[in-house]
Amino acid sequence: MDLLDRYLQAVKKHLPWQRQDDILAELRANLESQLEDREAELGRPLTSAEAEAWLKEIGPPMQMAARYQPQQYLIGPAVFPTWWYVLRLACFWATTVYAIVSAVQIFTEEIPNWTSVLEATLRLPGVLITTASWVTLVFAGIEVTVTRYPAMFPEVTGHFVDWKPGALPPLDKHPASGKKQRGYAIAVVEVIFGFLLLGWLLLIPKYPYLLMGPGAVVLQVSPFQLAPVWVQFYWCVIVLNTLQLGWRCLALLRGWWQTPRPAEQIVMKVMGLIPLLILITAPDHLFITLKHPELDQARHGGTLDTINYAIHHGVLIICLIAVLTLLWEAGQMVLASYRKRVAAMR
Amino acid sequence: MTVAENLFENLRLELRRGCLTLAVLAQLRQEHYGYTLRKALADRGLVIDESTLYPLLRRLETQGLLTSEWREEDKRNKRFYRLSADGEQIFGSLLQEWHAINAAIDGIVNSNNIL
Repeated sequence: MDLLDRYLQAVKKHLPWQRQDDILAELRANLESQLEDREAELGRPLTSAEAEAWLKEIGPPMQMAARYQPQQYLIGPAVFPTWWYVLRLACFWATTVYAIVSAVQIFTEEIPNWTSVLEATLRLPGVLITTASWVTLVFAGIEVTVTRYPAMFPEVTGHFVDWKPGALPPLDKHPASGKKQRGYAIAVVEVIFGFLLLGWLLLIPKYPYLLMGPGAVVLQVSPFQLAPVWVQFYWCVIVLNTLQLGWRCLALLRGWWQTPRPAEQIVMKVMGLIPLLILITAPDHLFITLKHPELDQARHGGTLDTINYAIHHGVLIICLIAVLTLLWEAGQMVLASYRKRVAAMR
Repeated sequence: MTVAENLFENLRLELRRGCLTLAVLAQLRQEHYGYTLRKALADRGLVIDESTLYPLLRRLETQGLLTSEWREEDKRNKRFYRLSADGEQIFGSLLQEWHAINAAIDGIVNSNNIL
């Protein structure tokens, strides 16, 4: 029957090529038997309309062939949660690294301009698509391997029984009433801006105008220069920012970002006092010096003393405010802890 | 098809999926080729589409539950299937599970009816 041959030919095109002939021979035998039965019942061959109706009942060739395919999906249900987790993580890190690299590239240009920023932003979707494609490709490979050799990956196939319920992470702590829980997006934005801030800080020694603006040019042509204490201050700030950023990344990966502990924030603030202490203990309270003291001392000596005096007292006031704020917060924390303990005792 | 009809159809297919495997394994305690198996199941009230049954036979064979051989019958080469030794063992276990589920469902439905 011509129509049946045409049907089988159409099915063949969508069958897995290794078993194509075998499947087709079996399907032909089954369908021919069915056709014979129908014709025997009617006592005559099927008309072309009846044959069409019969094949329509069986279903479209592609649908028939599709059921013979060994695997219908790229990422199966067992691998999907891990793939989704890794995909989100990879996209986050790709965005972060790309943002830092682009920022450094833009700021190291002769004249940074908005066109470079726009171009870098427009390239981001491409970077994300490439990242997602690679992650998916790797996981598709894992899926195929897991399907073929399930015994090799008991953790993935869900047959991994050696887990300890006691090792489950503790319940997420809900913040005190009235306080809003931090969102994941905020934690991510903090990390991204942390990286951008660090990149910006690292570029300052080469491009002082990033910090001082036109003041950098003024400083260059003036008889004054920054004292060595600023170098110690700068590197201390860099180290503290790196530590803080590292902690935030860790918190993001471990899920601690939901409820930042007050003690951690106080430790961070105590560490933030270190750069101020470096400035306070600057030798002879010198923050600005003369480039050529032998030539300019007589003319600018008085101005220099006034500037150093002002900076020293400014730093002292800032330090005092920071210490008082810190003491207030520490006091609040101790009080809250005490109240909690008393409430628990009642 | 309305959303409710579509939902029912999906749930119906889900419900049938496991049952079909059990019915096929049960029927293949006797040797059959695809078409006669389909007819035998249909005669007992279980109609299965060709596009579901024939690939299912292949899958069950790949899983080691069925064995098959090509043989000539009525001047035509046909592939005959039968339950393998592993298949018989698994069929027994599945049947027990089926009876347990059936009894449980009956119990649940009947107790709800009483209430």
